[in-house]
Formats: sequence, C-alpha cells, structure tokens
Amino acid sequence: MSGTTVLATEGTERPSQVTARDLARATATRTRRSAHVKLWAGAVCTALVVVPVALANLLPLPGANAQDLSRRRLPPLSEGHLLGTDQLGRDLLSRILHGGQVSLSVGVLAVLVSGLIGIAAGAAAGFFGGWIDAVVSRFLEAQLALPLLMMLLLVVALFGPSVTVITCVIAVAQWPEVARLTRSLVLVEREKPYVAAARVLGLRAWQVLLRHVIPNVVRPASLVVLLLLAQAVLLESALSFLGAGPQRPFATWGRIISDGQAYITTSWWLVTLPGLVIALLVVGVNLLGDGLRDRTRRRKGAGA
Amino acid sequence: MPTYLARRLGQSLLTVFLTLTTVFLLVRLAPGDPAAAYAPPSASNADLARIRAEFGLDDPLISQYWIFLRDLFTGNLGTSYSFHAPAFDVVMDRMPYTVTLAVSAIAVTTVVVVPLGVWMARRADTKRELGANVMTIAGQSMPDFWTGVMLLTVFAVLFPVLPASGFTTWSGLVLPTVTVAVLQLALVSRLVRREMVSALTSPYVTVARSRGVSEHALTWRYALGNSAVPLLTALGTRFAALLNGVVVVEVVFGWPGVGSLVVRALETRDYPLIQATVLVTATLAILVQLLVDLAYPLLDPRVRLGKAA
Amino acid sequence: MTPPPQSAFTEYESPSRRTLLRGFALGGAGLALGPLTACAGPTGAPGPGTLTLGLNRSLVSLDNKLNQFDAAITVQRAVRQALTRIGPRMKVQRVLADRFEMTEPTAWTVRLREGVHYSDGSPVTVEDVATALRMYAKVNGSFILGLFPELPTVEPTGERTFRLRTERPVPVLDRLMANIHITPAAANRPEELQSGVGSGPYRVVKANSGAGEYTLARNTRYWGPRPHVDTVRVRFVPEEASRVIALRSGELDVVDTLTPDSAEQLTGLPGVTVQETSGVRICQLFFNFRKPEGHPLADPRVRRALTYAIDGDSLIRDVLTDSADQAEGVVPLALEGAVRTGSYTYDPAKAKSLLKSLGADDLRIKIIWESGEFAADSSVMEAVVDMFQDIGVRARLQQFQPGGDILKWRQGRGGDWDVIGNGFPGTTGQALTSLQGMYGGTAAKERTRDTYMGYVIPRIERQLSDAATEVDATERNKKLAAVQHAIWDTWPSLWAFAPKTLLAHRDRVHDLGLLTLGSYDLSPVRLEG
Repeated sequence: MSGTTVLATEGTERPSQVTARDLARATATRTRRSAHVKLWAGAVCTALVVVPVALANLLPLPGANAQDLSRRRLPPLSEGHLLGTDQLGRDLLSRILHGGQVSLSVGVLAVLVSGLIGIAAGAAAGFFGGWIDAVVSRFLEAQLALPLLMMLLLVVALFGPSVTVITCVIAVAQWPEVARLTRSLVLVEREKPYVAAARVLGLRAWQVLLRHVIPNVVRPASLVVLLLLAQAVLLESALSFLGAGPQRPFATWGRIISDGQAYITTSWWLVTLPGLVIALLVVGVNLLGDGLRDRTRRRKGAGA
Repeated sequence: MPTYLARRLGQSLLTVFLTLTTVFLLVRLAPGDPAAAYAPPSASNADLARIRAEFGLDDPLISQYWIFLRDLFTGNLGTSYSFHAPAFDVVMDRMPYTVTLAVSAIAVTTVVVVPLGVWMARRADTKRELGANVMTIAGQSMPDFWTGVMLLTVFAVLFPVLPASGFTTWSGLVLPTVTVAVLQLALVSRLVRREMVSALTSPYVTVARSRGVSEHALTWRYALGNSAVPLLTALGTRFAALLNGVVVVEVVFGWPGVGSLVVRALETRDYPLIQATVLVTATLAILVQLLVDLAYPLLDPRVRLGKAA
Repeated sequence: MTPPPQSAFTEYESPSRRTLLRGFALGGAGLALGPLTACAGPTGAPGPGTLTLGLNRSLVSLDNKLNQFDAAITVQRAVRQALTRIGPRMKVQRVLADRFEMTEPTAWTVRLREGVHYSDGSPVTVEDVATALRMYAKVNGSFILGLFPELPTVEPTGERTFRLRTERPVPVLDRLMANIHITPAAANRPEELQSGVGSGPYRVVKANSGAGEYTLARNTRYWGPRPHVDTVRVRFVPEEASRVIALRSGELDVVDTLTPDSAEQLTGLPGVTVQETSGVRICQLFFNFRKPEGHPLADPRVRRALTYAIDGDSLIRDVLTDSADQAEGVVPLALEGAVRTGSYTYDPAKAKSLLKSLGADDLRIKIIWESGEFAADSSVMEAVVDMFQDIGVRARLQQFQPGGDILKWRQGRGGDWDVIGNGFPGTTGQALTSLQGMYGGTAAKERTRDTYMGYVIPRIERQLSDAATEVDATERNKKLAAVQHAIWDTWPSLWAFAPKTLLAHRDRVHDLGLLTLGSYDLSPVRLEG
C-alpha cells in the first residue's frame, strides 16, 4: 500500500524520516515476520505428529494390533488408553502412531520418486524441447483431464494393494507438478550465458543439462516437495478410505477413519481423532512449505 | 483464431483418445472378471463363459479394441453390464448431479474467494491476514472424506438440520458443496492475494493513484480487473478437476453423481460404463478448459489467442 | 504474471464481459436445476402419504431375472407377482395361483386365481406363465436358474388351469416358483425388463434405474385388498452410515439389511423400531478342500482342532453385537429342513494340544475374503488372526476388493489359501438348496472347478441327491437330517454364523412384517402421523 518500503530496507546510516516503528510496520518486515511465524507454526505442528510417530515403537503403548474384545470402543481418557479404543478393543493412539509410520513412509517415498521423475522429465522437456517436450506436455495435459482417483484405483486393483504399488501410484499422480515447475525453470535457465559458454567449451547437451542446469534448478524445484508431501499423505488416506490401502491388519490413517465411519453416531473419536492427526500434520507441512517459499521469494526479490 | 481453435481441438481430441485407450487397456489388464461380478456366486464356469461371450470378452484384445473404436465412431459406447442400458445414457443420467455439485462448489468458492483474496492483499501480512491465511490452509489440509464425515456428524447427527445423503431437496446440496469448497478456498484465495498484491504495487496503479483515482476503484476495477485472467484460469482448472475429482465426496454423501457411479462401475468391472465415464468426464473437463481459454480475450483485450507464448 | 502497465487505463468492454458472466451464471443455474425433482422439507423428510425406503444396493430393475436381494424382493414383488410366495414361518402361500399341488411325482396342477389382472386391466393368462418360464431359461447369468434342478414346462389344461411338468421329481417346486415373476407374454423378453406392467399392488410412476431411484403409486386396479400407502419411494443410499443418519432424521422410513453396528446405533432411539428375524444366509470361514493329500488341512482332525481356537461367543457378542447366531448346523436353522448337528466350542488349550498331537503345530494360515461379503467382515477377520496367534498359529489376511479376483482364488486358480470368508444365501428358504449348492460337489464338477471350495465327498453327494428326489416329505426330512450330520463331521468350516436379518423403521410405519427371507410385503404396511 505504501511505496516507501523499498527504501526502508536499505541504508541505515543516512538521516531518515523512517522511524523504527515505520520499519516494524513495513511490508518487508511484515512479510519476513509472517514467513517466520508460518515456519515456526509449521515446524511445531509437524513435529507434534512426526516425533511421536517416529518414536511409536519406543513409547510405552499397547501393540497396534493387540485386541481386547471386552474393552471395545472405550472413549478417550479411559484407563490405559489415552485416545480410547477401536471396535476390536485396540488402543487408538497406538494404531494412529503405527498407522502413521505406514502413511508417512508412503508419503515420503512417493515424493522422492515423483521428484526424481518430475525433475528428469521436466528438465528434459525444457532443455531439449522438440518431440520430448511435446510428449511430456501431452502427458501433463492429459493428467489434468483424467479422472485421477479412478485411474489410481484401477492401477491399485491391477497390481495389488501393496505399500510399493501405492507409493508408485501416488508418485505417478504427482510427478506432473514437479515436471511443470522444472520445465519452466529450465526454460529460463537454458537461455543464460553459462549454458552457451558450456556448449562452446564442447560439452554435450546432456552433460550441460546434468552438470550445470539441473543443479541450478533443483533447489527451487525442491521447494514444492513439502507441499507434495502434504498431498501425498492426503492421497494415501483417500485411497485407503476407498478400500485401496495396504493389506490388513496394517493400520493406515485412511483405513482407521473408514473403519470408524460405521460408528460415527456412537463413537465419535474413531473418526475425529485420526482425522485431526492427519489435518495437524498436513497443516504443519503446508505451513512449512509456504513459509519456505515466502522466504525464498523475498530473498530473490532482494537479490534482483 | 480459427486455426488456433482447430489446433486446440485437435490436441484435445488426441488427449481424449489416448486417455480412452489407456483406460481400455488398464481395465482389461486389471484382475477381476466382469462375468463373475455380473453372475450370481453360484454360477458355473460354463455360465461365466457364456456371459463373457455375450459381452464379447472372449475375443483377442486387439479385436476388442478394434470393435471398441468402430463403435466409438458411430457414437456407440456399449451397453453397461450392470445397468442393462446404453453406458452413455447411464453416465448422462448421473452427470447433472455432478455438474450441479461442481457448479455450486465453484460458485461458493468464487463468492468467498474474491472478497477474501482482496482483503488479504490489502491487509497483506498483518496478524489478521496471517490468521485468515492459516485458516484457509487448514481447510485445504483436512482430508475431504474426513471433513465430510465431520460435517455430517454435526449437521445431520448432533443437530439434524440437513439431509445426510442424496439429492432429494435443495438443502442436500449444502454439505457436499461446503466440503468441496473448503478444499478450494486456500488455493484460489492465495492466488487472488498474490495477483492483487503484485497488481496493487505495480507502477500503473501508482500512477493512477497519483491521478486521484479512488482506492475503491483502484482495488476493484484496476487491480481486480487485471487479476481476472489468472483467477478465471484457476477457477476453470478447479472446475474441470471437480468434474473428475469429487469421487470421495460423492461416496461420503451418497451423491448420485458420476463419482459414485465410477466406484460402482469399478467394483462390478463394468468396462463399457468405465469407458463411457472417462470419455464424458475427460471431454467435459477439456471443454471447460477450452471455454476458459476462449473467454480470455473477452476479459482482457490484451490477449490474442494463438499469438501469446 | 504482472500485466503490462500500458493497458491500465483502457476501458474494458464491460457489456460483453458482463454478458459473458451472466451467461455462465445462467448456464450453471440451468444445469443445477436439471436433476431436482420432488420437493420436500429441509431435511428431505417425506410427506404424510409417502413411504421412503433406503436400499443399500442399487435396484437396477424391477424385474428379477438378474438381480434379486432382500430389499429388492420387497419392491419387485410390489409390482410383479409370482404364482406363490414364501410367507411367514416359511410357509408357501398362493398368490396368482389359488391351487398349486403335486398330483404326480413329476407333475403339479396349477389354477390361476379368478379375476387376477395386470395394472392395465388385462388378465393374467396361462400363456404368460409359459412365456415367463421360457424367458428365464434364456437369460445368461441368472441365479434363479441355479435354484431350479430343472425348469418345468407348462401344459395348458384349460383357460385358467395348467400342469407344470418336470423330468425328475422336484418336491419343492411350489417354493421355487415364488421366484418366477409373471409379466404379459407379449412384453416379456429374455433380459431384465426395464418397464412394463405387473399384477402387483403398486405400479411404477417414475424410474431412474441409473440412480436406483423409483417412485411407486398405488395400483388402482389391483385385484387384491387395497394397499394402505399411496406412494412408495425407493432410494439408493450406499453408505451405511448415511442410511443410519437418514433414518434418525426421518429422511428415510425404512432401512433394511442393516449391519450389526447400525442396528446397535439405532436400537433404543426414540421414534425408531428395529426388527430382526433369524437369517437364512450362512457366513462361513470355510476351509480349502483342494489341499493335497498329506497337507494338515486335508485331515478333518486338524480342521476340528483349529475350530477350538475361535471364541465364537465373543465374536457374536462383541464384534457382531448379538445380531447373528452362531451356527449349530451346516446350514442356518431358519431354513426348512435344517437340523442341529453340533456346536463350536472355544478351548484354545485343547486346540494347541490337539494340533501338537497331530503334528501340525507350526501351521501358517492364509485367510482370504472379499470386502462386504458379510457385515463386519474385516473386524471378524482381524479378530480371528488374533485368536490364532493365541494358539501359536500364524495367520495372514488377504482382502479382495469387490470386482477383484476372488473368484479365481475360490476356484483354486489364483493362489494358495487356507480359509475363505464366504456367505451362502438361502434364497429358497429350503435347507436342501443350500446343502446341494455347498456340499453337492462331484468329481465331474471339480474338473471345471465348479465345486464349492473344492468340497467333493462322493458319499455325501449321493446322500444329498437321494434326499432331493424323495417325494415323501417325512422320509425326505429324515434323509436330510442324516446327511447334515455326516457333513458336520467333515468339519468344513473353521467357524460359521447366520447373521440375523435386521431392519429399522420409523414409528409412523405400522404393520411391517419382516419375513425370514429378509423381505416384507408392502401392501399391508400403513403410515400414521
């Protein structure tokens, strides 16, 4: 709203009308502060979920599959069961944490795979252009038009619902996002003088791409990774919810919710609590990603 | 313009065709047998073989594909196994429900997002704006099926004011719409905010302000006007995605749309129905994208179709 | 991204933009208006003269050539009728026929009721019956055909009388004919009929088979007593949780085929009544009978030992919330001709020691089933794995999605498994039909993999076919009892139970008499308040 902010970030030596209070209210300061808040809030939310999930095996909890049919559907804060029990008398907290191990590792692996495919395809399309670009772009467009979830269900039916298959399926669903970004970054990058210089020095095209262009785009491209992780976790739970999760008795977040849905009128915690955990994690990851992006954008803005 | 249209249509046709072919192959390679899903559990293998023959599933894959293509060009998408009716008609029976849901979700999103995004841009990075930002992110971060079930619990179980499922009355539209819209808010409001922030700080606005144009006109006419194209693109893309992607919400709310139809068609391995669904939704999604592109010049006279990079 | 500034002061062509947007809005509204049909209250509660049923499976057609399940029968029978029906306590009642008796071992004499006619006023004729039988015979994949050992032929003997003739005696033909719906001959086709008239108390006024929604109105020309309810709406509500909520809020009047969990949630709610009858479907954890000689599971003693591991009482009480009966025979006791043959006992110590003495103490069991095969299926399976763990048997689960490959596995062509979770319906209400379906396997059938999980025991098959053709009722029941005991001693199931048929309705619904077969007659149902 005010055009004076650019000045405010620079030189402090000069005598200036800009007071400390103005500085604190300046857009740049506020942007930095809000990025900071987001980063912190994101880190806290993520840690609240990830740390217990990682430590699930060390915590003094009943086993995730240990049943006690006489103690079924106990409400939260019951004796020995902080979050209550499910329809077979299993400890809900333990199931959420162990289920989180499955859901999180699927998410992380899927993001790694999709990152690799996406960067490779996007970089090739952007750098070489021509038919490679045409093919990749067609794929990217087709995926916008495709009933994605249905295709995923089909593929899971085709190869069987194992952790590997579900990971790959999610990766396949996500690579276009990375590819699109990488392609646009590479398009900018390949016009830069250093690429021409490398070519003049006699490097082959793919060497230029691998050794010079990709290292320059990996950092900005990897920023979307956190956002993708959030999506991957959501996608995994949606697949489990629709029945295409890893084989029982593996608990996953989506399955705990879909199993608990039969009891919503009597046992609210079976659906509410696992959902809250997913939401907390995804909010955390999204905020982290957002904060990082804001920070980078600001840096870039300052550097330009 | 005509060449641009022709090229776009050609590309779209190719995309639809490739998609259909992929689906055709995928469903046939996936384990499961339409005959087994169709016949009673007591059916003998001879019965199943007869049914497969009736469905034309005995032929080699390539001739099945050839027949599929031939029928496709005569506008025949086959007969749904489970509905005993033309697959295309079955899909079109369900389509209005999905479109209704998508339209109402996009309408709600637009109505909320434009003022919200403008407000966020004007109050960029204040504490309240940060709060609103975090709220929309939270909305986007909740699994849609969970949001749906939670809304059901509150508005249909605890306070039974809204119907739980189906579409027999207008109020049945409320919960699914809210569930879908909550997911879109974060994405689109952030886009509006970003566009508005960059528009409001750009030189032409400064110049306009110095000429005494009111803040109100600056915001709503100049800045928002120039943000219309990206906003429309985003809404169009979301709309197209919704036509394909409300499967989970439809399942949760028993919404008789295409999404729940697809889940059922998959469970019964109803090949013609799956193919028809893909064809219709993919075509529709692409058409929406195309319409959005065609609308650009109307919204923004600077845009000339087929010339911009 | 940022627009080039030179355009900032150009005026937009606002009319065209506004027109465009208005066009979008109108189009959207038009599309949105499309599907809306009936108007109701804000929670969708039906009006005073309308009964709304919530089915959990989509009723594709009101014909039953290809699809028939509990609630479907209720609706289908309200429109189309058969010569007979299975009434309360499994007794045969005559509907379109007023005489239906066995006059020879292979022939039944039937007379159509005087004055029966369709909703368009045309009379029900003998030719309609003959055509109906021919059409059912021509349909691929009809399970009704599977119920008949053979389809009878019609020999007309008068304007309203005819003989139904079979090659071999079919002593339960009067019950089987309850499944053959009669339609005007000229309109009958060898496929599921999407429209057409019937002779029932209701006629279809609106049908959307794609969405599984139907509206039925009273048939003003019905030949029988006038039904009480004016309009019946049939809705398809796939999610069980939604059906429960919709019944609670009064959006639905009747929900049937409830899961035990839903019944538990609905029991005791004000304004809601839950009805139950003992069921005719048996759900089993059936052993794989295709194990090679020498495999532990090929030994009935091992199979018996494993049954001691299952805590059936607590499964029934805690997992199935008392809405099922533990099997005490090889078919549900509600079936006509079923007898008690034994019961499952829980004794993990005995299971362990027996397995050890049989040298089968390091067993690994793979359990397969298809989601939705029976209510609370996955909970039962997960509980069983836990129980096996207690006797030192390691069990693995493999769950198939509907539409998946379980059939291949059942037939032993998909992969190796040890126990399958499977339900077998008792559509005819006759123990014999279920017994033959499950235990009547022969070597010839096994060659085409058409036996039930590979169950081929020749002496049992002989006993069964002997009982099936026995014309004398007392003698037949004696033979049936004997064969059921013989089957029990082969220990075919790890555990089995017969889920009760559960139905819940609003209190404004009166005189709804739930039958053992899971359906009910719509015409006596009344609405109040």
